[in-house]
Amino acid sequence: MATDLYNPASQRAVEALAAKLRRRQVLGSRTAALETVVVLRQVISKARFTNIEQLVGIIRSVGRKLVEAQPKEHAVGNTVRKLLHLLREEYHNATKRSASTSPGGFSIAKFVLQGQPKKQAAGPKAESSLVLREDDPDDPDSFARTLKPVLMEAIQDVLDELETVYDNISKSAKDHIHSDEIILTIGQSHTVEAFLKSAAHYRNYTVIVAESGPSYGGHDMANSLSSAGISTFLVPDSSIYALMSRVNKLILGAHAILANGGMFAVTGSLLAATAAHAHSTPVVVCAGQFKLTPLWNLYHEYAALDFADPSSVLGFEEGDLVDKVDVLNPYYDYVQPELVDVYITNDGDHPPSSVYRLIKESYGDEDKL
Amino acid sequence: MEQTQSSPKPPSRVPNAKGKGADAGEPSASGSTPAPAEQDYPRPRTKAERRELQERQRAAKAAAKRNAGLVPPASAKGAPAAGAAKGGASTSASTSARGGTAVTAAAGRGVKELKPTPGAEDVGGHSHGLRIFSHFALQKIATHVAKGDVHPSIVQLGLMFSEFKICGANARCIATLSAFKEVIQDYETPPNNTLSRHLMTHLSTQISHLVSARPMSVTMGNAIRQLKLEISNSDIDLPEQDAKDELCHKIDNYIRDRIIIADQVIQETAMKKIHDGDVILTYARSSVVEKVLLEAWSEGTHFSVIVVDSRPMLEGKRLVSVLAAASIPCTYLLLPALGSVITEVSTVFLGAHSIHSNGAVYSRAGTALVAMLAKQHSVPVVVCCETYKFSEGVQLDSFTKNELAPVGDFFNSFPLTRPRDSLALKNRPNLEILNPLYDLTPPSSITAVVTEVGVIPPNSINSIPLALGRQPF
Repeated sequence: MATDLYNPASQRAVEALAAKLRRRQVLGSRTAALETVVVLRQVISKARFTNIEQLVGIIRSVGRKLVEAQPKEHAVGNTVRKLLHLLREEYHNATKRSASTSPGGFSIAKFVLQGQPKKQAAGPKAESSLVLREDDPDDPDSFARTLKPVLMEAIQDVLDELETVYDNISKSAKDHIHSDEIILTIGQSHTVEAFLKSAAHYRNYTVIVAESGPSYGGHDMANSLSSAGISTFLVPDSSIYALMSRVNKLILGAHAILANGGMFAVTGSLLAATAAHAHSTPVVVCAGQFKLTPLWNLYHEYAALDFADPSSVLGFEEGDLVDKVDVLNPYYDYVQPELVDVYITNDGDHPPSSVYRLIKESYGDEDKL
Repeated sequence: MEQTQSSPKPPSRVPNAKGKGADAGEPSASGSTPAPAEQDYPRPRTKAERRELQERQRAAKAAAKRNAGLVPPASAKGAPAAGAAKGGASTSASTSARGGTAVTAAAGRGVKELKPTPGAEDVGGHSHGLRIFSHFALQKIATHVAKGDVHPSIVQLGLMFSEFKICGANARCIATLSAFKEVIQDYETPPNNTLSRHLMTHLSTQISHLVSARPMSVTMGNAIRQLKLEISNSDIDLPEQDAKDELCHKIDNYIRDRIIIADQVIQETAMKKIHDGDVILTYARSSVVEKVLLEAWSEGTHFSVIVVDSRPMLEGKRLVSVLAAASIPCTYLLLPALGSVITEVSTVFLGAHSIHSNGAVYSRAGTALVAMLAKQHSVPVVVCCETYKFSEGVQLDSFTKNELAPVGDFFNSFPLTRPRDSLALKNRPNLEILNPLYDLTPPSSITAVVTEVGVIPPNSINSIPLALGRQPF
């Protein structure tokens, strides 16, 4: 793919982002997704291609580079896949000038094959007057020139969606939280924070925040919530089971939502979700749609996803104990789909059993990086 | 007759509540309200008059509460401190009398009645949630003022308890009994008194001092109950020194039989559950489990240990240093990481603070989570517990009886990598920090309990007193 990143400026941008990802300087999945979109926009705007395959190839190689830099940050791969999917859709829209699908053409075969009944029905929305000429020998740039504005719009949609993710998720907050409820949450999640703060405008309730060692993100969360006027309790993780009998709901954030409806979440979430299940307390997960990941294997339970610095568990101040003892500091937990009751996303509320359908709608089948 | 009897209740109830409030230093506005109640002493005859009286008193009470809310915070600060001290005092007074779990309910009721006023000023706009946990009456640390005739070794012991230098059910019980031996040896029966009666009151003063430092553990309670039984059974005709020596001898026997030898039997029994290549998981630090692991290792079994630990006390570090010194391969992690390792564990060994008659285990906060997750992954959960830890009564959840650790970084349990000012270490408006020290593990999460009378399933705990040849409680 020599024509890939022929443009040196785009190449530099991609390398810069890959380096940041590798060094874990990008904090949070939303930031990672936003930066990926920005870089891809730059690459696409400067890229030169004469047919759709070349464009897809360019985007795929950029995506591969970014994903290899940080395979544990799923938001990057998800965003690239989403862009590819949108791109293909725009392309299909533009090239199908004839009345493509018969408007009442809802057949089982199409449903099974493409699995996107919603999008099919809304398909011929843009009766585009684009005349796309691929591989035109006289005017090699015509294809790119006509397609780029459409692509830029699609990318802008994705950016808007990412930027308004917190607001959209918080829209249904007041319906999920009642007055005088006691909510339990773990560690720190910006999504959950926005959710709870938005509900606080309408309801009076209490939040219990579990500290979540050894990062103790719960302290930041508790400080932030109490400054917003929500009455908050800060407790250590050890008392989650003790308090669970009084808790009305457990609200968690997610790192990535997997294709089977399970999720990767910050460590401690499995304990809390299991305790909630034992007490029949509903478990609510707030996550943006960009966290939906088309990944799943049988071994999630046996392999922790990522490890953090062990010195916050047992530091060098313990002296020679450090040599004699193995210290583990896994950063994420895998939570089974049976333990989660609902996923609240910026696109509405979904039970774990329908996550596979969301993934089919958001990502195309052909795009496996 | 019944009708007129019911009428005095409203007027008499109001002064009572006000009386308790006055004890705790509720603002002086309440002092004025009993006066109108007394004025109504010529009892109203008709129902309408009685209703009018009730309405008037209710309005007066509401006005007093509103006035109390406007009174400057100075008096309010006095109220919570006095309220906590009163809660502590009433706990100690009734504990020395009975030493049972019913006591805390009385203290809780006392504190709850006081709660509305202090809570209102403490946190602007107190909510439903803050009231729910108000019965965790927090013990003040600095009660070094000894009330009454307290022996110096008891003062020292109280100080060590309140600083958490001695912690753990067995350690506290042994320390208490050893201190009581000194108290008994230094005791002199005053003239015109018998040892068996007066010594009890003397000991009660010591016990209340210890309870004011830290709530009594079930082990201490059981041991003290046994001691009081021995004292009341001591022969009146014995010369004083002989009686004292006999009591000290009985104390030694109790420690030896119910704790030391029981631990040895438990070690030998539990050791058989550890096989070569096993991965044993334990939580925090239990003295019994530590002995079991060391004994099993010295017998030549090769296994590895995963120690799970958690704030607020981070006791697991001490266990890890002991095991590492014995060259046992250890892994150390914090409680939230448990989900990642539980699939590799063969057995879970836990200790207990006390065990109830339905088989529920009252132990360090976090034990319930470990037991629950292990049971879910079909890992056997073994609780090692001596019989003297058996507590009568059934506790239904972790709220009925619990203790809070002091707020702030008391145990230095935060990692150095985290700057202290970014942590929430103090209560703030709308933010309260709770550090419960204990929790209750339901019997469904436990596979077996190892005691010195055998390995029993949790729902047969009731049969222990019978097994020991004693009356069931």
